[in-house]
Amino acid sequence: MRQFTSEDLARYNGRDGMPAYVAYKGRVYDVSDSFLWQGGRHQVLHDAGADLTAALEQAPHGEDLLDRFPVVGVFIDSTPPRSPGR
Amino acid sequence: MAKVTREVVERAGVDVDQLLELLVKNAAAELTTYYYYTILRVNLIGLEGEGIKEIAEAARIEDRNHFEALVPRIYELGGSLPGDMKAFHDMSACPPASLPEDPTDVKALLKVLVEAERCAVRGYTQICNMTFGKDHRTYDLALAILHEEIQHESWFSEFLGEGPSGHFLRRGETSPFVRKFLE
Repeated sequence: MRQFTSEDLARYNGRDGMPAYVAYKGRVYDVSDSFLWQGGRHQVLHDAGADLTAALEQAPHGEDLLDRFPVVGVFIDSTPPRSPGR
Repeated sequence: MAKVTREVVERAGVDVDQLLELLVKNAAAELTTYYYYTILRVNLIGLEGEGIKEIAEAARIEDRNHFEALVPRIYELGGSLPGDMKAFHDMSACPPASLPEDPTDVKALLKVLVEAERCAVRGYTQICNMTFGKDHRTYDLALAILHEEIQHESWFSEFLGEGPSGHFLRRGETSPFVRKFLE
């Protein structure tokens, strides 16, 4: 299965003809066909091309709604780990 | 626009432009649902369908009421509705509640109805969460609408065999929670 870094994922933002992909708990979902992800935006607050794992914790729905969408890859977080605070 | 109204909401920490976009999208969902429910209601016929027609009609009228109740708040906060009805339809916060492929399939029709209500419940929960303790008037309005959307969901859910709704159908007037916002 294809691997996506955060830089790869950011290109799939649902704009300019690009598909809309979102990551959740290490999986990458294609939400392009969803009415609720038109133009790569979801309910004003969320953009495609990003890892929404943390955002879904605050959402008024569970992860089960993502089961409706095809998984197109796995998400490899390329963000460098935070250095420990002093 | 009510200048001070907007100012106090902004000062409370709400992104008013973001909130307005959500309110307009939900207003679009209400008006389009009113339209699609008209078609669904017409197709609720026969021994099975007739029993559901009454609640579909109550939900249809209440969704129109929700649209009417949202509009003043949108303008108070400095927002507006789009001039293009097609654009308004397409920006809806919920997908079209279209008639299923087989319009005689009452269960499929109920699934469309319950999904529309669930989308609305999520939408108003989001607005309540954004405005709680910050924008009292929008919160009060969103909560009133949420009460009614939850009842709609439970009515349709009951007919789908998911369990009792726990309450009766409307007796008499519609929109018991939203009525105070209808001028």
